[in-house]
Amino acid sequence: MELDAIPQPELEQIERIGGADLVIGIIGSERPEQNGSAAVMVREVLAELSKPLRAMVVCNNGTHSPAAVPEVPEDSQSPAVFSCSLPPPAPGETPQHGISNAYRTIFTVGGKLAVRACCVIASRPENATPGWIHRLVQPVLDLGFDLVAPCYTRQKMEGLLNRSVLAPLHGALYGQRLQNPMGPDFGLSGKLLQRILAQYSARRRGPERSLLASIAPAAAFNGFQVCESQLGVRHQSPTDWDNLSSLLSEILGAAFFEMEARAAHWQSIRGSQTLPRFGQPEVPSPENATSVDVHGMLQSFRLGAHNLQDVWGLILPPTSLLELRRLSRLTDDQFRFPDQLWVRIIYDFALGYRLQTISRDHLLRSITPLYLGWIASYALEMQTAGLAEVDSRSGLLSKAYEDNKSYLVSRWRWPDRFNP
Amino acid sequence: MWEQVGQALRLSMTKMLSQLAGLLPGIVALLTALVISVMIAWALSAILRRSLARFDFDRRVAHWGFPALAEWSPASSPTLLVTRAIAWIIVFMGFLIGISAFDGALPSQFVVRLFAYLPDLMTAIVVFVAGSIIARFLARSVLIGAVNMNLQYARLLSVGVKWLVTVLAVTIALERLGIGGGIIRLAFGILFGGIVLALALAVGLGSKELVSRSLDRETNKTPSASMKEPVGHL
Repeated sequence: MELDAIPQPELEQIERIGGADLVIGIIGSERPEQNGSAAVMVREVLAELSKPLRAMVVCNNGTHSPAAVPEVPEDSQSPAVFSCSLPPPAPGETPQHGISNAYRTIFTVGGKLAVRACCVIASRPENATPGWIHRLVQPVLDLGFDLVAPCYTRQKMEGLLNRSVLAPLHGALYGQRLQNPMGPDFGLSGKLLQRILAQYSARRRGPERSLLASIAPAAAFNGFQVCESQLGVRHQSPTDWDNLSSLLSEILGAAFFEMEARAAHWQSIRGSQTLPRFGQPEVPSPENATSVDVHGMLQSFRLGAHNLQDVWGLILPPTSLLELRRLSRLTDDQFRFPDQLWVRIIYDFALGYRLQTISRDHLLRSITPLYLGWIASYALEMQTAGLAEVDSRSGLLSKAYEDNKSYLVSRWRWPDRFNP
Repeated sequence: MWEQVGQALRLSMTKMLSQLAGLLPGIVALLTALVISVMIAWALSAILRRSLARFDFDRRVAHWGFPALAEWSPASSPTLLVTRAIAWIIVFMGFLIGISAFDGALPSQFVVRLFAYLPDLMTAIVVFVAGSIIARFLARSVLIGAVNMNLQYARLLSVGVKWLVTVLAVTIALERLGIGGGIIRLAFGILFGGIVLALALAVGLGSKELVSRSLDRETNKTPSASMKEPVGHL
């Protein structure tokens, strides 16, 4: 499938190995020595597991050195760690697209080796520790889960796209409450990996970006066992405000694409359930919590509300437009984005994406001022809030997504007739 | 003498009436062709409208990547646009057939010249429609991009781009039709040259400080500068 992306020496090595129990992908490792340290980490992890396993480590730093590759043992049952590297991401590739491509190649390697489990760490390389790998792999190998989704220790102003859209939307649509439905660090069983590969082959003509977004929905759709694992603090690159609209376009585009592809499935689901969560949650350090100046975000929102009415008018119903106009007239202190309005806006944008009322790129980029408005409102609300309040706030938003699902279903089925 | 005058009058009247009678079959043929073409157009557009509605044409057009066509259509329905366009083409063809029925050199020449002009007319229509669609698309791209960059004059930029592309499309279409000749090209050159010159003068001379202040202000307003908030999205 994606074997073209794998260099010939690596391909030969995979052929020689024949089979493995585990494939571990470490995406974004920039240093060549990362391959060696990854292999050492995996040895540590394998030592902790109950059975001796054969593992393949795949890094995408493009620095393959044949000397580092150990000889394949005669006995295919003996424990061993092999490593190979993929070509680094192309210069023009966006981070999300690069992650999606690397995921695809790692899955292909896993499929070729007929592995029992696969673990991919796509966060920054410093996150790839034996602890993280163990927490993502162990529930699959020892407890029989098919998907281990990550659960990070976050400050209240971190993971906002997850808090505002991805997590509650996934919960409302597929009935499973996940903190990070789009990972990007996952543990998967061989069965789920094969299913995703088969699905990808069937959908080859679809947008390539959808792979990362399709993992959790595929698991929910096919009745696989899903759990979460506490991974601790996730180190992230500083926020790139210049490319916020591109980020939103990529992430929400992938989520909406998946939503469109699985419409028949999610329309019949009501409510959501919590999933087993393994590991002890860490408490985020209070000194890292910083205050946020929302003035710039509110300015962006007001500018959008003033100039983008024509564009939003093609996507949103008149009541939402009126509400937005009213919000744009509020002062900074009074500004609060009602949950119901926000949820309906997201549902209407998903519907607009499906109907292609306007170009999909325009539609996804025009959500940026609205998202900034939501962040500003959230920051104002959570200014003095503690962790419990932040969790309860997220719970309320998830409930709003579930309560308004009938609105989405009605509009999805009868977009012309049901237009409040 | 009066007898001669009366004879001359009778002769001219007979001549005129016979000429008019000679034209009558042509007129009747023209009217018949028009009536038949209107009936065919009406029937065909009714059939086409039903077929396209069953095919869910309006939605499919948007799916094929032409959502802007709905904005250009009467009652926002591309089906209506297509059926009306086809109906008018049939009526026009009926009119041309009717005109050809006149047994005169002038109408025939007119029809021949009209048919020779048709390719240019079609090209001009295609250029104009494509230009309008591109103008709207670019205007929306610029508007959304400028708003996301926090530029206060986002709408002005968007309208400017829309009109520039529309004027360019109209100029090409008119040139294709042979209307205006060099004047259109000259006017377009003056318009574009004028805009560029005005901007150059604004930056270089009179409004130097104003422009630099405005640029500074706008640069400082971009999200990268105004928003360095410690916020994580994923």
